[in-house]
Amino acid sequence: MTEERLNELLDDARRTWPLPPEPDYQAMWGRIERESFGARRPDVGAARTPSWRTFSLGLAAALMMGIGLGRFTMNQAAPAPTVVTQGVPTDTATPASNAYDKVASELLGRTVVLLTSLPSEARNSSGERFSNQATELLTSTRLLLDSPAASDPRFKDLLEDLELVLAQIAMLQSGRSRQEIDLITDALEERDVVPRIQSAVARLARGD
Amino acid sequence: MTHAALAAEASTVPDERFLIARAQQGDRDAARSLYDAHSRRVHRLVFRLCGDEEMARDLTQDTFIRVFDKLSSFRGESAFATWVHRIAVTVTLNGLRKERRLKRGADDLDVANDLPAPSNNVDPDLRARLRAAIEALPPGSRASVILHDIEGYTHAEIGEMLGIAEGTSKARLFDARSRLRKALAAYANRGE
Repeated sequence: MTEERLNELLDDARRTWPLPPEPDYQAMWGRIERESFGARRPDVGAARTPSWRTFSLGLAAALMMGIGLGRFTMNQAAPAPTVVTQGVPTDTATPASNAYDKVASELLGRTVVLLTSLPSEARNSSGERFSNQATELLTSTRLLLDSPAASDPRFKDLLEDLELVLAQIAMLQSGRSRQEIDLITDALEERDVVPRIQSAVARLARGD
Repeated sequence: MTHAALAAEASTVPDERFLIARAQQGDRDAARSLYDAHSRRVHRLVFRLCGDEEMARDLTQDTFIRVFDKLSSFRGESAFATWVHRIAVTVTLNGLRKERRLKRGADDLDVANDLPAPSNNVDPDLRARLRAAIEALPPGSRASVILHDIEGYTHAEIGEMLGIAEGTSKARLFDARSRLRKALAAYANRGE
């Protein structure tokens, strides 16, 4: 048999190879969920204490990520702000700005994930994992604070807030007590982190 | 957040990093969204590799159990889909070796009756014999043919899935095609 004829047959096979019957994906998920995550939770909404803090923090930070970074990018594109270039030539401002945007976007996204999952899951998960994640995010936050990204005072304020919170989470240890978690979540309230983020979001939305 | 909402949110985000990050922290709704996004393609791939409905269902489940078990090690060096498909291929090949349930011979000829509408110039019997010949290949060679010639993956992608060099994938496919030509030599002129 020639190569050409075999190619013909394989082309035909690509078109005609039977597709599997549609399985019951929901039933299949049942076993996957059971073996991967344990028994199905009875009712997540009822089991968890309603957390306005995590909800509003996640929402505010997500909004911040969308609106704040959009405006931040516009500000970076505007002419002649006083920017600490740290050796970056001005004619490369756009690529540099894009790079900072990318880093900031990733940082905020990952921080949202960490903060929103902290109160409900930190007691059941590895404190070391949370601590390591926070340490990594803290490093990125401090690098951004020292970068041209922090030339925007509103964004700098947000980064400083995140720095404080992440520093606390980074100090979480294995075997942590409920009090340690509560101290962090209380600190979020005491520092008015959520209202300040919301205010920042509102300011940014108004274009102040 | 429900998996539907997560999936909707993920669709507004350029990639799946959000869902993956949530699932890495044990969020089963995020995991379900990832499953919804990838299970059909994985199931089809597994079915084509093993050729058995029941086994395909089991191996698809095994694949996702392995995916969520290993998810913490996923660092995003490759696309998530490629990473999942690599696990699917590994799980399936291991399952085939373990169960030794490759379908052969007369069973495959029976399948010819269930084939979709035939193309213009291929005898249905020859088509069934090609399928039987593919399924009779050693698992690694069979995977190369299925992945490259049927599923359309590149050698680079196959190499990543099977954990082999791109050149090895090409060599395997060359060897597999030689075997197929020999197996079908007697029927070379049918349907032409």
